[in-house]
Amino acid sequence: MSKFTGLNYRRPAYLLMLMNLLGFFLLFMANGYNPNILYIGAGLLGLFILIYTIIVLCNMGDKFIVLMACMLITIGVLLLCRINIQYGIRQIVWVALGGAAFFASYAVYYNIRFWNKLWMLYLLGGIGLFLATLIFGDTVNGSRNWISLGSFSFQPAEITKILFIMFLACNFSKSWTDPFYKITPKWMTWLGTYLFIGFLVLQRDWGTILVFFFIYIFMIYVYEKNLRFLALNVGAAAIVAVLGYKFLYHIQVRVSSWLDPWADISNKGYQITQSLFAIASGGYFGRGIGNGSPSYIPEVHSDFIFAAVCEEMGVFGGAAIILLFFLIAYRCFKIAITAQDPFDKAVCLGLTLMFSVQTFIIVGGVIKMIPLTGITLPFVSYGGTSIVVNFISLGIIQAISAKEERRTGGDSHESK
Amino acid sequence: MNPNKRIIHVLVVVCVMFLSLVTYLLYFNMFQAEEVATNPYNKRQWEDEKFVKRGNIYDANGILLAETEVDGDTRIRRYPKGRLYSHVIGYYSRTYGKSQLEMLYDKELLGHGDITISFNELRSGYDLNLTIDHSLQQYAYDQLGNRQGAVVALEPATGRILALVSRPDFDPAAESLEQNWNAIVEQENSPLLARATQGLYPPGSTYKIATTTAAYEKGLIGTTFEDTGLFEKDGLKVSNYGEKAYGTIDLKQAFSVSSNFVFCSLGYEMGPETVQETAQRFGIGKSFDFDLAMSKSQIQYKTMYPADAALVSIGQGQLLMTPLHVAMMSAAVANDGKMMTPYLVDSITTASGLTLSTTKPSLFSQSMSRDCAEYLDELMQNAVETGTGRNARISGVAVAGKTGTAENETDKDHAWFVGYAPADDPKIAVAVLLEYDGGAGGTNAGPIARNVIRRYLGM
Repeated sequence: MSKFTGLNYRRPAYLLMLMNLLGFFLLFMANGYNPNILYIGAGLLGLFILIYTIIVLCNMGDKFIVLMACMLITIGVLLLCRINIQYGIRQIVWVALGGAAFFASYAVYYNIRFWNKLWMLYLLGGIGLFLATLIFGDTVNGSRNWISLGSFSFQPAEITKILFIMFLACNFSKSWTDPFYKITPKWMTWLGTYLFIGFLVLQRDWGTILVFFFIYIFMIYVYEKNLRFLALNVGAAAIVAVLGYKFLYHIQVRVSSWLDPWADISNKGYQITQSLFAIASGGYFGRGIGNGSPSYIPEVHSDFIFAAVCEEMGVFGGAAIILLFFLIAYRCFKIAITAQDPFDKAVCLGLTLMFSVQTFIIVGGVIKMIPLTGITLPFVSYGGTSIVVNFISLGIIQAISAKEERRTGGDSHESK
Repeated sequence: MNPNKRIIHVLVVVCVMFLSLVTYLLYFNMFQAEEVATNPYNKRQWEDEKFVKRGNIYDANGILLAETEVDGDTRIRRYPKGRLYSHVIGYYSRTYGKSQLEMLYDKELLGHGDITISFNELRSGYDLNLTIDHSLQQYAYDQLGNRQGAVVALEPATGRILALVSRPDFDPAAESLEQNWNAIVEQENSPLLARATQGLYPPGSTYKIATTTAAYEKGLIGTTFEDTGLFEKDGLKVSNYGEKAYGTIDLKQAFSVSSNFVFCSLGYEMGPETVQETAQRFGIGKSFDFDLAMSKSQIQYKTMYPADAALVSIGQGQLLMTPLHVAMMSAAVANDGKMMTPYLVDSITTASGLTLSTTKPSLFSQSMSRDCAEYLDELMQNAVETGTGRNARISGVAVAGKTGTAENETDKDHAWFVGYAPADDPKIAVAVLLEYDGGAGGTNAGPIARNVIRRYLGM
C-alpha cells in the first residue's frame, strides 16, 4: 500500500509551498517591502501545512483536491494582497475559518448517516434563507443577496447552494420515494428547484440562477432514464429566457453589453471593457505581480479577480487556473463515480457541478465568451461566505472519498 | 440504472467547457488583444508615461516640432509650430487618444525596449528626426492658404517626404482639442481627415502619366488621332476640357493639351486588362508601409468593360488615389521609372544623441522602363513649356508636370498639378490638390507647385 511510501502526493505539496514562498516574497519586494505581506504568506503556508498534515495523518481520503484548492487560494490571496492588503488580511481569517468548517463538515457528514432522509429540512431551510434575504437583505451591485448581522454580513444564497444540492440528491438517489400530498418526489424536486430559482429572480442574482439551473439539468441527465423530461425543462427554460430578454431591461443590458461592449465603454460596457483591457494588457506572460493596474477593474477583488490574474500572471496564468479547476473537477468526478452509496454519489456529483459551472460562468463572463453574470470564482475571489461554503463543500466531498477509501481498504484514489 | 456512464458524459461536457475557456482566452489574446490594449479608454497606456519624458520630434534640420514639458506629475505635449503638423505629427490627448506619428511611433517616443531599469527616475523617450524641411512645409502651408486640399513634396530618388500639408487642419494641442472636439468632429469639411495621406480623390488627367506608360509599352506612341472633342463609345460620352476639338494630333500634343478624347481612345483600345495591369504597377490597390496611416489607392471594378478602361485612363471612374500616391507617380518618372517607398522618419535617436536606427530608401515598384521614363519626361516638360501646365514654368529651370481637373460628385472639379524639377536632375517632386476648386488644374494648382519648387531649389 502506498499510504506513506509514495512521493506522489508530497511532491505537489512541496510545489505548493515553493509557489507560496516565491509568490509572497516577490510581492513583498514589488510592494515596497511591506512586512505584512510576509506575515500573510507565512500564515497561509502555516494553515495549509496544518490542514494537509491532518488530512494525511488521519487518512481522510483524496489527498489532491485540497492541495489544488490551496493552490487556488494562494493565487487568490496573493492578488488580494496586491490589490488591497486589507482584503488579504481578512481573506486569511476566512481561510482559517474555512479550514475549521472543512473539518467540521467532514466529521459531521462522515458520522451522520441519515442525510438522505432530510429533504424537507433542506427545502424549508432554503426557503427560510431566501425569505430572510428578501426581508432583511441589503442590495449590493443591483443584487439583493446580502444579510447583515451587525458588522458581519453574508450571502445566504451561497449556503442555499449546498442545501439545494442535498435536496436534489435525496430525490435522485431514490432515498426519497414517498409522495408528498400525492406529489411524487420527482415533481416535488422540480417544484422546489423552480421555487429557489424564482426567489433568485426576485433577488436579481442571475449568476446563481444559472448555477442552480445547470446543476439541476445535469442531474436530470445523469439520473432520468427518459430524456423527455430533460428536453421539457431545457425547452421551457429557453422560452423563459427569450421572454426575459424581451421584457426585462436587466437582461437586455447584459446581452447588449456582451455583444458589443465597445458601443458604450464609459457606461454599460464599462465593467467588461475594463476587464478586457486588463487581459489584453497582460499578454501571454502577464505584466508581473505588482506591475499591473488591477485597480482600474471594478469589483476586481470578487467577481473580476480572474481579469487581474490574467493581467499580472498572463493568459498562461489564467489558463493554469482554469486547468486547476478542471483537475479539481476531475478528481471529484472520480470520487462520484467510485462512490457506492447512491446519496453520496449524487451529493458529490452536485457539488462537483457547482464548482465547475460556477467557474465556467464567471470566467466565461469576464473574458466575454458568454454574457457576464456576477458570481464569485470559487477559492480565488474575496468573500467570507464563498470561502467558507466552498470549504464545507470540499469537506463533504472529502468525507465521501474517505468513506470509499476505507471501504476498499486504502488506495482507491491513489492512482499512480 | 447505473448513473456512472452518464456521469462520464457530464465529465466530458465539463471538460469541453473548460477547454473552450482556455481556447477562447488564447484566441482573444492572439487576434483581439492588440486592438483592445491600444484602445484610448485603456488607462494603462498612460501609466508608462509617468516615468518617461516623451521624445521630441525634429525636422530634417533639427528644428523642434514637438516636445514634452514636465511639471511634476503632469506632462504637457507642446507643438511649437501649432497647426502646421496636425496631420503629420497628429495629436496626443488623454481623452481622445493619439493619432499619426504620436500613435504609430508611440513605443519609440516612450523609449520602449530600453533596458536601463530606473526607479522613480524620469527616463527620456527616443527622439524622431523627420525628413520634412520645416521652411518648405511652412511655405507650402502658406501657399495653400485657406483652400482645402493637400501639398506633397518628396525627393524622387529616395522617397524622402519634404513637405506634407493637408488643409483644413486643427490645433493639435491637447487642451484645445479637448475643448473643441465636438466642434471639430461635426465640422462639415472634416478637419481631422489627413487629406494628403488618407483622402481619396479621382486623379483626373494626372493619371494620363500612367496611361502614357501603357501606350509606350504597347508601341502606340507613334499613333496620330483625329480628335473630334467628344469621345463616344458604348454609351459613354467624354468631352475635352472646355469642349475643344484638337483635330489631328499625336500623343505628345495630346498630353500637352490633355486631350480626353485621345486618352479615352487609348484606354478603350488597350482594354481593361492592360489598364488594370498598369494600375497595379503604379501600386494602386497595394498597401505599403508608410510612417503614417495611409488610405489604399483603389480601382474598384467587379468586371471592367472597355468603356470603364477608357474612363480610368483619364483618371475618372472607380479610380481613387491619395495625393501622396499621385506625387509618387510623378516621382517615379523623375527617378527613371522606379517608384520609391516614401518615408517620413529619417532616424530615431536617444536623448543623448545616439542614433538607434536610420531609414534606408527602398524600391516600392518598378513602374516603367527607363526609356519610357525618358519619353514621359519629354512629354511632361513639353506640357509645362507649351501646354496646360504653363503656370508652373520657372525661368532657368526645366519643370516637368501634368495638370488634372477631376470631376467628382459635385459640380466643382478638384484641381491637380503634379510635377518635378529640375527635369535633367530631379531634386523634388510635387503634387498639389485643391479640393472642389472649380477651376482647371493648371490655373490654381500649377502656381502653388511652381512656388514650392522654386522655394526648394532656392531660386
